[in-house]
Amino acid sequence: MSKENYLNKLKELPQDLRQFIGLILITLIIILSFTILNGLFGQGDDLVKRMKLEEERIAEEKKLSALISKLPSGILVTFDGTDHHKLTDEIYEQVCKATKLIPQRAIMGANFLNHRAHEIYTINGNKIDETFVKWDQEKGRCFAGFTVSGNNVGVDESITVSGEALSFLSTGIDTRVYFIKNF
Amino acid sequence: MEILKKYPKLFQWLFLLLVFFGLCFAIDVPETYKFIRGQAEFVKDPNQSTYVFLGKEVRYYAFDVFWRLPPLLGWLPIWINDSLFFLMNEWMPLEFWNEDTQEFKTRPLLLEVSRKLTFFMTFLIELIREILIGGINTIVTFTGWDWISDNPWAELPGLPWTIVTAGAVLLSYHLSGKGLALFAGLTMVYISIFGQWKPSMQTLSFILVAAPLSFIFGLGLGIAAFRNKRVEKALYPILLVMQTMPQYAVLVPAMVLFGVGDHAAVIITMVVAIPPMILLTILGLRAVPPEVIEAGKMSGCNNWQLMFKVLIPTARRDILIGVNQVIMVCFSMAVISAFIAAKGLGYNLLLALNRLDIGLALEAGLCISLIAILLDKMSLAWANKQEDYFGNLTFIQRNKNILFFVGTVIVGILLAYIGTYLFKGTHNYLFEVPHNKGISTADFWNRGVDWIFDTFFVYIKAFNTWLIQDVLQPMRALYLRMPAIATIVLVVGAGYLIGGIRSALIVCGLTLFIALSPWWDRALVTTYMATFGVIVSCTIGFIVGTLSFQNKHSASFMLGVCDIFQTFPSFVYLIPVMMLFGITDTSVLIAVIVYATIPATRYTIEGLRSVPAGLHDAATMSGVNKFQRLTKIEFPLAFPHMMLGINQTIVFALFMVIIGAFIGTEDLGQYILKALSDKNGAGIGLTLGVCVAFIALIFDNLIRSWVEKRKKHLGIA
Repeated sequence: MSKENYLNKLKELPQDLRQFIGLILITLIIILSFTILNGLFGQGDDLVKRMKLEEERIAEEKKLSALISKLPSGILVTFDGTDHHKLTDEIYEQVCKATKLIPQRAIMGANFLNHRAHEIYTINGNKIDETFVKWDQEKGRCFAGFTVSGNNVGVDESITVSGEALSFLSTGIDTRVYFIKNF
Repeated sequence: MEILKKYPKLFQWLFLLLVFFGLCFAIDVPETYKFIRGQAEFVKDPNQSTYVFLGKEVRYYAFDVFWRLPPLLGWLPIWINDSLFFLMNEWMPLEFWNEDTQEFKTRPLLLEVSRKLTFFMTFLIELIREILIGGINTIVTFTGWDWISDNPWAELPGLPWTIVTAGAVLLSYHLSGKGLALFAGLTMVYISIFGQWKPSMQTLSFILVAAPLSFIFGLGLGIAAFRNKRVEKALYPILLVMQTMPQYAVLVPAMVLFGVGDHAAVIITMVVAIPPMILLTILGLRAVPPEVIEAGKMSGCNNWQLMFKVLIPTARRDILIGVNQVIMVCFSMAVISAFIAAKGLGYNLLLALNRLDIGLALEAGLCISLIAILLDKMSLAWANKQEDYFGNLTFIQRNKNILFFVGTVIVGILLAYIGTYLFKGTHNYLFEVPHNKGISTADFWNRGVDWIFDTFFVYIKAFNTWLIQDVLQPMRALYLRMPAIATIVLVVGAGYLIGGIRSALIVCGLTLFIALSPWWDRALVTTYMATFGVIVSCTIGFIVGTLSFQNKHSASFMLGVCDIFQTFPSFVYLIPVMMLFGITDTSVLIAVIVYATIPATRYTIEGLRSVPAGLHDAATMSGVNKFQRLTKIEFPLAFPHMMLGINQTIVFALFMVIIGAFIGTEDLGQYILKALSDKNGAGIGLTLGVCVAFIALIFDNLIRSWVEKRKKHLGIA
């Protein structure tokens, strides 16, 4: 009975006022729906953090690629005494951080002094599991390495070969480890 | 309170705007938001969020939902692609006999149907094309390559241009009289001597296949919808969407189903041309007076006879106006279909525009426009022509046009034969003027463009820079600055205030579809460009329309100009603006303004004309001056009609903005264009097309609701 009364009272209200109430209700419903959706899908601060990190990474990458494009093409060595391009300590660190690739030539050179790694590398069809190039902050040196394993040919053995990256190859677009000193 | 009671609507709108701006200011742009890395970029990024729906993974940048909604419909394009792939490659594999290999081959049903349809369409196009310009493909279809090499005489020679020209002149004379006949003759001669005969005939063959088929299907579906409410209800939403969907967008799924080429273009043209035919058929049949139907029934007609002997002949004019619309749509598509390798003038135009050879583009564009105007006038004349039945005429009198045509065929053949001697060792110009041998004004136009650039470069550049930096960029930024919630509140609130809860729900659904698609930002850019175009077009249209209305002759002249401009395929508008403004957003917007001004002007004049003459007299007698009559009587009464013009202006503007993607905008059209060259583009193209259609439908709903209300209020409904 009371419900009917309310409905009747509502119906008795002027048309424009009812429309105004309707508009307010619609606005509230939309805002409420968005609030619920925001609870389900919004990722606010967490996303901001992740995006900022990503942007920093992209900015760093851009800086490094700008550096690489400025480097002369060819073999870059980190110490004096050769005819090749020498790197300052500062650029050595930057190049180390920018380098991702270890070509087969450097791997085979490092394997030359690690007989077992060489053997596994030969029998597994010249496959490398993973490579890494890291800057050692304490020693102020760049280290590169790789892991060879014989899992694919039934040899349950995995060897990590690593050493100091003494020289790099600059292609003008990227830099690669040219020589790993693992002795 | 008194003011509130006096102007309740004003306060409702003020409240809505207050909420809108309040939300805009309250919701900050997320730090991570960048338009270029928006939702529509399908790049892998570790920061993207993902969800899986119907087995499809959707990646997106998750923002504050108040700012941008997550693309919960992101699975739709992927799902459409997969469904199409499934239907074409896996669904219902059946054994089909292969004539070439003489064995049964398993093939999915839809693929087989699409192949057969493709074959049929290609055959029809080739047949008509070879009748017009000659060739051997049709004969080879029935015989074989070996046979044709043994019997080279069997090759279809094609019709000399003189015969086609004479045919067009005679038909125009029969339909409308000397004026149209003269125009037809001049058009055909122009096409021929400018070396555009072959591409023109290719385009014509395309239209001669697409238009009759569209007419048949449109008429059939229109009759079905007229007779059955369920069919009408089922067709209505499709018709609405198809009428507002940019034609570009329909090309993409057609490519998946039918490949590229003339056949695919014809099929897709039919898809676009059938809806207006259906609508005009329904309109025509509905307008048949009940007395006529009653008379038919009383004469003992069965349903079939009632339809074909009474209803259709009575609705003949509306149905033939439908034919006119079909032809116009076919023409418009003939140009756009060039994107999927349909041969003809459109293809030449596209190539010329791609090479920025404005002169060549202008020549091809002029040909297209002339043929479009000619066919438009011919079909309208056909629609308006009353059949005369004079039983007492002699055979010669009754068939004089046919006899004339037979005579011209003989003369044409003779001329072509004489031409073989006259132009021995070179091209027979009395048979056909080859594409590269006709007169060309391309150099003249190109030099003109160079001169314009050399002379006005500074001013054009200054205008460009001002428009882009001071007008367009801020406007674009404002649109992109709108949080999703504010936009939805504004649109839904406007829907509610204008058309009530039903209208609010409809526009809410349409807006949500776009907001939940991955292209909300791009849709905002499309809307901003269209809005800019519409504002300028309406201003120009209202001023020009009102000024023209002041004089009977100038009003008729302006309506004639609108008629002619409306027949130009939309693509043609890009040529002059590219000549003047080069490849910039300004070009697109000026093309949008020119194109969209046509309906704004037309509806302003027609709206002002629709004000009853009695009111004019009453006003004059009351002592009002011309200006007062215009502002106090004519404008208020004509405004509902003028608003329908705005509706058309919005649709025209949106179409042009999408076509403008060819020049290089960053709106939805650009993605439709990209989808054309993407093997997985069907779903994206279709969804984008629906998004554009929905933008138009939102405005359509709001304007139509307002117009209906206003008409009721004014007592002119």
